[in-house]
Amino acid sequence: MKHTPSEDLLVWEFDFALTTFFEVETSQIEKYIPKQLSPMEVSPGLGLINVTGFNFPAGGLGHLPEFQELICSIIVSPDLSRGVPKFAMHVISLASTSQEHLDHSAEYYKLPIHGLLTDAKIDRDKVAIDYSDNDGQILQMSNCSPKLDYRNDERYFQAYTMDGDDLTIANCYIESPLFEHQVVGNAGSLNVHPFLKNIDFDVEPTPYLQMISPPGQKGRQFYYRPEKF
Amino acid sequence: MSDFFEKLKKEEPYTEYTLDMFSKSAGKEASEVGQFNNWRNMVSDADKYTFEVPHLGAQKPEISIKRENGDRYDLISFSSYNYLGYSYHPDVIQAGKDALDKYGLGATGSPLLNGTFEVHKELEQSIVDFYGLDGYGATLFSSGYGVSLGVISAFIHKNDHVICDRSSHACIFDGAILSQGKISLFKHNDAEHLEKVIQRIDHKNSRILVCCEGVYSTDGDYGNLKDIVTVAKKYGAAVLVDEAHSLLLAGKNGKGVCEHYDVIEDVDMIVATFSKSFGGVGGCLYAKKELTNYMNYYARSRMFSCALDPAVTGGLVKAVELAGSEDGDIKRKRIIENSDYLRSLLQDKVDIGTSTTWIVPIIYGDERLTLPVSDYLQKEGIDISLMTFPAVSKNRSRIRAFVTSEHTKEQLDKGAEVILKAAKKYNFLKDS
Repeated sequence: MKHTPSEDLLVWEFDFALTTFFEVETSQIEKYIPKQLSPMEVSPGLGLINVTGFNFPAGGLGHLPEFQELICSIIVSPDLSRGVPKFAMHVISLASTSQEHLDHSAEYYKLPIHGLLTDAKIDRDKVAIDYSDNDGQILQMSNCSPKLDYRNDERYFQAYTMDGDDLTIANCYIESPLFEHQVVGNAGSLNVHPFLKNIDFDVEPTPYLQMISPPGQKGRQFYYRPEKF
Repeated sequence: MSDFFEKLKKEEPYTEYTLDMFSKSAGKEASEVGQFNNWRNMVSDADKYTFEVPHLGAQKPEISIKRENGDRYDLISFSSYNYLGYSYHPDVIQAGKDALDKYGLGATGSPLLNGTFEVHKELEQSIVDFYGLDGYGATLFSSGYGVSLGVISAFIHKNDHVICDRSSHACIFDGAILSQGKISLFKHNDAEHLEKVIQRIDHKNSRILVCCEGVYSTDGDYGNLKDIVTVAKKYGAAVLVDEAHSLLLAGKNGKGVCEHYDVIEDVDMIVATFSKSFGGVGGCLYAKKELTNYMNYYARSRMFSCALDPAVTGGLVKAVELAGSEDGDIKRKRIIENSDYLRSLLQDKVDIGTSTTWIVPIIYGDERLTLPVSDYLQKEGIDISLMTFPAVSKNRSRIRAFVTSEHTKEQLDKGAEVILKAAKKYNFLKDS
């Protein structure tokens, strides 16, 4: 798809992205889902939380120096009147190593800001992250597939957020090689932490799907300004 | 291979979508309906629509089909669950005709009120006799799906627990949802994980139903019934086993995987469908008589459905009789030989997973290949069942060959030849 730069479109350039969809009991996440939406379930009573760690190099977003971002969302019903996305997410937490990035995200995207990360380690060799804030470690997350097989493509997503009492929706396109897999394995640990809304995951949370970009290789995210749903 | 998918995306853009993408849409308009139809039209326009293709005759090993564009193909079928060939067995057909003449076309009533005929009672008794245990009963349902739906939702109530194997059929999950009980899952065939799941709930004070299957159609493997039953009994949980793909087939006498593991009397509810090895339609619950009596009234999918149609019921009585005779013994031996033979032709060359039964999956991996592979196989002379993401994991999409006792060696050879040809063309040979 052709994306024409405008004030309603920001292009983000990243060089690391690790996403894991974790299974979670729907009863634990329902209260965070706006009434207009419903959770996507992989089995009855089993919804999905999506956690993504990004690294944005200097210049990846405007004039900002290099920073890391951690974003958490619930996978929900898409709005198919706008097209057919791979999935739709309702964002519930955003943390970053850059306060300026957080301020911008709150103002432009209406994203729910959790706060600053105090420690954000990325291991590009292992494709792993380890993020903490003032409340302690949030998570460790790593690729659990023995092999990586990237597919170069553009993928379409939808992102919902709340702007006060209004639900908003934004189109989002990722243009990057990505590897998607559902290999069953240890994808890390999620702590009971305010960033994750204190959700109690299993000791070994069950990954449903992982999406990984080649570490060090630049990809782009075309993230449009949210509109009222 | 990436060039291949680039070309595929350009020429056949429908391959970029999977069915989960159209399962729901937010908003007042039902946009999923329009988008799904856009996708379906794309598939039809590309002449790749291989779902719901009309068959022009009985479900025999050799069939004829008519594609959407009117083209007719003569195929070897590996897509039917008619494992023992009873759907077209002459004695079964004659029994069906006799019942049709005697009772008419439909039962025209609920089995509890006015839809039960003598032939229904004969079928119930023939199932009880087939198992040969005192104090047990069978209750009939007009669909296999309706058995688990009705039985689970009648047995489990709000705040009770249903614990299902992750690979369970939709009828089990839907019964659990309808029951309003709390649903938990355990890893496929993993009794240790089942125990952990049970320990997490108040098992001393809760009613718990553990649900699993005799044979799983995704992988063609046996349910780990011995260990699962042992764990369930340790915690006072009831057990339901769905023998849809195993009754009349597994076990020395065809009494299913419960017979194979010698757990028939430890299992509280055995559910079966008549649309597979029996060659008809409908299903039944086999359990202690007290429980089947109760389900006759409280399984709503039975109570509020018309009784099984008499002609099918008459045919089913004959099918059970045949399955319990030497005919059944011969066919059970032959289906195992046929399955082993097909596996021997494929296992070194393609990924057939953990199959040990008459269901042989051939894993081609990438879900984008689903319809092109299916179309290719039909055009090359075989009809085969599809299973793709999200029903199975990403990159683990598969075709499944349902082997029957009626396939000949030549038909199995031809089937394997075409599958391997497809594997070469679509790059899913083991060494590729």
